[in-house]
Amino acid sequence: MEHSRGTIFIATIIVALGILGAQLFWLQVWSEDQFEEISEGNAVRMVRMLPARGAIYDRHDSLLVDNKPTYTITLTPRYFDMTKTAYLATLLEVPDSVVTAKLNEARRWNPYRPSPSFRDIPFEIYGRIRENAFLLPGVGHEIAQGRRYVSAARGAHVLGYMREIDRGELAGFQKQGNALRYRQGDLTGKTGVERGYEKELRGAPGSAWRVVNVHGLDIKSYLGGEEDEPPLSGYDIHLAMDAGVQALAESLFVNKRGAAVAMDVVTGGIIALVSMPDFDPVIFTRTLDHDTWAYLNMRADKPIYNRATMNQMPPGSTWKPFIALMALQEGLIQPEGFNSTYLCPGHHPVGKGHIFRCLGAHGLIDVQQAIRHSCNTFFFELARRMDVNTFRDYANMFGFGIEAPTDIAEQTPGIIPDSAYFNAIDPYWGIGYTMNLGIGQGDMGVTPLQLVRYMAAVANGGVLHAPHLVDSLRNSETGETRFPDLPESVRVPVDARYFDIVREGMRMVMEEGTGRQAQIPGIPSGGKTGTAQVSSGRRDHSVFIMFAPFDDPKIALAVQCENAGDGFACAAPIASLMAERYLKGHLPNTPQTRFRMRRALMTTSEAMFDENSGDAE
Amino acid sequence: MYFWYRNLDLVTLLLWAALTIIGLVAIYSATHGDAQDFLLETVSRNFYRQLLWVTICGVGLLLALLLPIRVYQRVAWLAYIVSVGFLVAALLVGREVGGAQSWIALGPFNLQSSELAKVGTLLAVANLFATQTIGTVRMWYVPLTTGLVMVPAVLIILQNDLGTALVYMVIIPILLFWSGLPLRIVFLIISPVITGYFAVVSWQLGVAFAVLMTGGMFWYTRNVKVGVVAVVLTAGTLATALFALNTVLESHQVARVVSFTNPGSEEFRSGVGFHLVQSKAAIGSGGFTGKGFMEGTQTQGRYVPEQSTDFIFSVIGEEFGFVGAIVVLVLYAVFLIRLVRLADRVKHPFGSMMAAGVAGIFLVHVFINIGMVVGLLPVIGIPLPFLSYGGSALLANTAMLGIVLGLDMRRNDFSIYALR
Repeated sequence: MEHSRGTIFIATIIVALGILGAQLFWLQVWSEDQFEEISEGNAVRMVRMLPARGAIYDRHDSLLVDNKPTYTITLTPRYFDMTKTAYLATLLEVPDSVVTAKLNEARRWNPYRPSPSFRDIPFEIYGRIRENAFLLPGVGHEIAQGRRYVSAARGAHVLGYMREIDRGELAGFQKQGNALRYRQGDLTGKTGVERGYEKELRGAPGSAWRVVNVHGLDIKSYLGGEEDEPPLSGYDIHLAMDAGVQALAESLFVNKRGAAVAMDVVTGGIIALVSMPDFDPVIFTRTLDHDTWAYLNMRADKPIYNRATMNQMPPGSTWKPFIALMALQEGLIQPEGFNSTYLCPGHHPVGKGHIFRCLGAHGLIDVQQAIRHSCNTFFFELARRMDVNTFRDYANMFGFGIEAPTDIAEQTPGIIPDSAYFNAIDPYWGIGYTMNLGIGQGDMGVTPLQLVRYMAAVANGGVLHAPHLVDSLRNSETGETRFPDLPESVRVPVDARYFDIVREGMRMVMEEGTGRQAQIPGIPSGGKTGTAQVSSGRRDHSVFIMFAPFDDPKIALAVQCENAGDGFACAAPIASLMAERYLKGHLPNTPQTRFRMRRALMTTSEAMFDENSGDAE
Repeated sequence: MYFWYRNLDLVTLLLWAALTIIGLVAIYSATHGDAQDFLLETVSRNFYRQLLWVTICGVGLLLALLLPIRVYQRVAWLAYIVSVGFLVAALLVGREVGGAQSWIALGPFNLQSSELAKVGTLLAVANLFATQTIGTVRMWYVPLTTGLVMVPAVLIILQNDLGTALVYMVIIPILLFWSGLPLRIVFLIISPVITGYFAVVSWQLGVAFAVLMTGGMFWYTRNVKVGVVAVVLTAGTLATALFALNTVLESHQVARVVSFTNPGSEEFRSGVGFHLVQSKAAIGSGGFTGKGFMEGTQTQGRYVPEQSTDFIFSVIGEEFGFVGAIVVLVLYAVFLIRLVRLADRVKHPFGSMMAAGVAGIFLVHVFINIGMVVGLLPVIGIPLPFLSYGGSALLANTAMLGIVLGLDMRRNDFSIYALR
């Protein structure tokens, strides 16, 4: 009897533990995958690792933009000790009620997760809180990367600014199957180089798998990090920009609206690009308040608008070298001998001397002298002789009326009329419409970027570059260097000798003509002033194009000052100072320098009536 | 040459040591690692406290081996009275931990009266049978045994710890079975328990089991009276259970009882089913070989509540996998079988009943605890012997083991006459 009881007992034990073993087999071997999924869904989270955004340097490798840590204090309400509210408020230098309000806000979101309650706090306060962290349960910190601008040159429209990615952009990335790259709340370049080179600057985010505990707190790496992917760092950008020239140009533009672009004649790199009024990109690294946003968006003179690439204005007399080149190449006028001159009696005969007037009576005049004296009559006559569609073709050859192949993120094509254009506005159009085109007036618009591109092509004998901000992209981690993906420069089909004639005319402008006061001491140059008339009865736009040195051109410039008067008054001294700063590396303190500075600084743009705020600025 | 310890069952002692060490390893994993900072201080020190308790218990075990066998029989009733007194004291002046008012502070130690009272209760029941002649059956032992066990069991129910009280009640049929009570009566006694379990899982299963049980009993005994009693017991349990689930109990109480059948469902997942969902996920995701010591994401993320105590087996299942869990099960099986063989070997009824009772208590604990952790049984908060963190349980379990090992070691010292 006893023995059989023992056997029954042992059998019971084996059956009972056998049932448990069978269940273990079912859980751990049979349906392991299912439970692994549950467990990983629970406890394993992917954390995105963002690489540091690429820095931006100028052509002399001096730093313009890098990253700086921004400090955020987080609150986890579940672990926060309410008796420490006053203490935390003292450390943060805010009233107690603010801490309480932030705690309530965080609790509504998720009491177990750290909520970024105090963003972008000063480092001193951050340090103070870190030191006392052991006294403050539930108070955490986060360090993020923000942009830091370290140069005297703002370069607002070159560098652009960064803002939180918006829904549209995010949806676009997700549609491309690129969801990992961006998330809600990420910063992305909105304008300028930050936008144009967003992909290269950003690099590729990596991933880290983390184990989180039951309250969602990160505790350790998963599987010792073997499934993690390290982030790929972005490229550092080396701009063609010269920060010194850029800063100088910005400082000369006080109280003016307008734009200045300087281009490397040999490479097409943008040495300086200024659009005024501008803004300080630093303001976008912080939370934008309503007033700042209103200032940027509501003002009639539009600080965010890139005048250098988007302002479509008549070029005025700076257009004359182009017309001369077209006419010479097309045989509308000869460089010498028969049909090389035209008589200027102070007006053009068309319109009986009342409509197409000149600044003076220049007499019998050839191309070079016409450029030197900026003779309107001569260029009215060339425009009278030209076919408007040929004009359009030549304009396009020089990059007008079309968008430039460039790495600048935003630009407009400008307006170059042709017969179709005039047919559309007036079926009875005639030379009255087209003759104005000869002196850069009328129904046309060019941007400062297009002007400088054309200036550079004239200076270098007809090579039309793709203007580019970025010289090279270097990856500091891999050492790889890349170059912007731009089309080859093209040669304009105009004879070299015609360029020589026009350049010579532009040299005379600088030495004896309207550009006289804008000469660079010791460096011969070529240039052309322009005064674009404004139909609304306001002051004229001041325009100037220039290249230097004359014999071996290195820099071409185009400057536009809105409603600032004649070309020599405002645009010429600015261009001249920029060129001198670039070529000499500094501005010598001479009477000539001081004269041009005074000229540039004293000229102001006529105030623009602000329709939104209702007062004049 | 004979030494005093020549009859000591060294294998059982080694199994005890192995299980205790496995427990320490699992508790270490559940309370250390990268998430340690997030734990409450009362939990994060569990490993060191358990280490201290293991040391105390080791010394206690040695002491138990040194005592002569008469001592146990002499103190049996005293131990019972002290145990009951302890339970009453806990009810009156005790502390409540986790809903159960069973804790008494004794100097630096917090003792769980319901765990310690097992020793006294078992000693008393074993002593009751000490006068029984081997091979005879006395039916009045049934109400006497039931009474002796039910006094502490009722007190523990009053302490609001139904799980532990259940363990007490489940050992009644085991003790009666070992004392030689006819098997049909043992079956009759345990049939309501099994019927109740199936009734909770599904009423169809309950009915099927009731029919099979009744038919089986009648076919086996050919006795109409037994058949009738079986019908009354199983059908009665079935009716009571279904009535209670559908009418008497509040919905949250029903949820506690039935949630284990489908813990992941919408209504239970974040509430009463959370324990089981997480525990099953921990064990299931461990797979065949486990995630490795200190590498279990469920364990290190503290997803399973009561990880170092009642749900310690989920740590082993996750970090050491099917292999580790089966090793623990096999160790338990060998350990329990060893105890039953030992109960067989000790011829004196006191020693034999004591050993069988201890084996029964351990079996019930192991089955209910692991059954709960792997999702076969409702969540009943009782510890896994020697593995779970908990000083009182470890002390009580080790003391019972020590007594049994002592009695077995000196089994030849028993008087052939029963002690009166």
